[in-house]
Amino acid sequence: MGWGIVYFKAKDGDVPAEDFLDSCPAKVEARFYAVLEAVRNAPPPRFSGGGYWEAMHGEMGGFYEIRLTGPGRRQYRLFCVLDNADSDGLRRRGFDRPQIAVITGMVKDSGKKFSDRDYAKVRALEVQYSKRAPRSIAS
Amino acid sequence: MPTTLDTTHHDRRLARRLKDDPEFRAEFERQRREIAQIDSIVRQLDELREQAGMSKAELARAIGKAPSSIRRFFTADVNPELKTVAAVADVLGAEVAIVSRGAAPAKGAGGKRPRREAAAAKAILVSRVDV
Repeated sequence: MGWGIVYFKAKDGDVPAEDFLDSCPAKVEARFYAVLEAVRNAPPPRFSGGGYWEAMHGEMGGFYEIRLTGPGRRQYRLFCVLDNADSDGLRRRGFDRPQIAVITGMVKDSGKKFSDRDYAKVRALEVQYSKRAPRSIAS
Repeated sequence: MPTTLDTTHHDRRLARRLKDDPEFRAEFERQRREIAQIDSIVRQLDELREQAGMSKAELARAIGKAPSSIRRFFTADVNPELKTVAAVADVLGAEVAIVSRGAAPAKGAGGKRPRREAAAAKAILVSRVDV
């Protein structure tokens, strides 16, 4: 069975990934979707995503990011986790198949770096996502 | 009894964007083609490696790279460098070739190819498997 794609929904009802995608130029948004579709059709450990899908390391270990360059060399990042388990585990989470959970996205100017605080916010959202069963997702 | 969530939000959103925005649709289709080519090349190289009975560590040694870098190369943990693609292909007795997607564009007046036609004949990357 193929993988699905879900967007994390926060306690206040916001869907950070969707808000981010809505704020992206149409071409950048389209590229994010093309990568997500490629990865869902051939999920890790297979190679997929055309090199735009990369595993993160260190404190961001467990996350995958889609790294795109947009107009003006701006750097767009979409942060995802793989939500997979045995069939009982998936059922408890509300799923009938594994999911690519899209947590949030961020953008920065070329040459700038995201701060530790930026990354901490991403991790905090993922903690909100993963502690809920069933998961809190946009529907 | 656990609830099964509605996980169709992404599919509905994508379908709507494809229907409503021609610029989005054109870029999505273009990127899908590009990604499919890159993914196909790396996967074909991995298949050739398996057919050759070569471990990732052996392949890494053969091209002078760390085993971890080749493991990452085959699992999309990093953006594959063209240089590495070519080196891996060479060790596996293959090569990466460029082929035209369609017939070559006709030359315009003065022997120059019109820009639009040249763009239509954009090349694609393929992996040769004639080991």
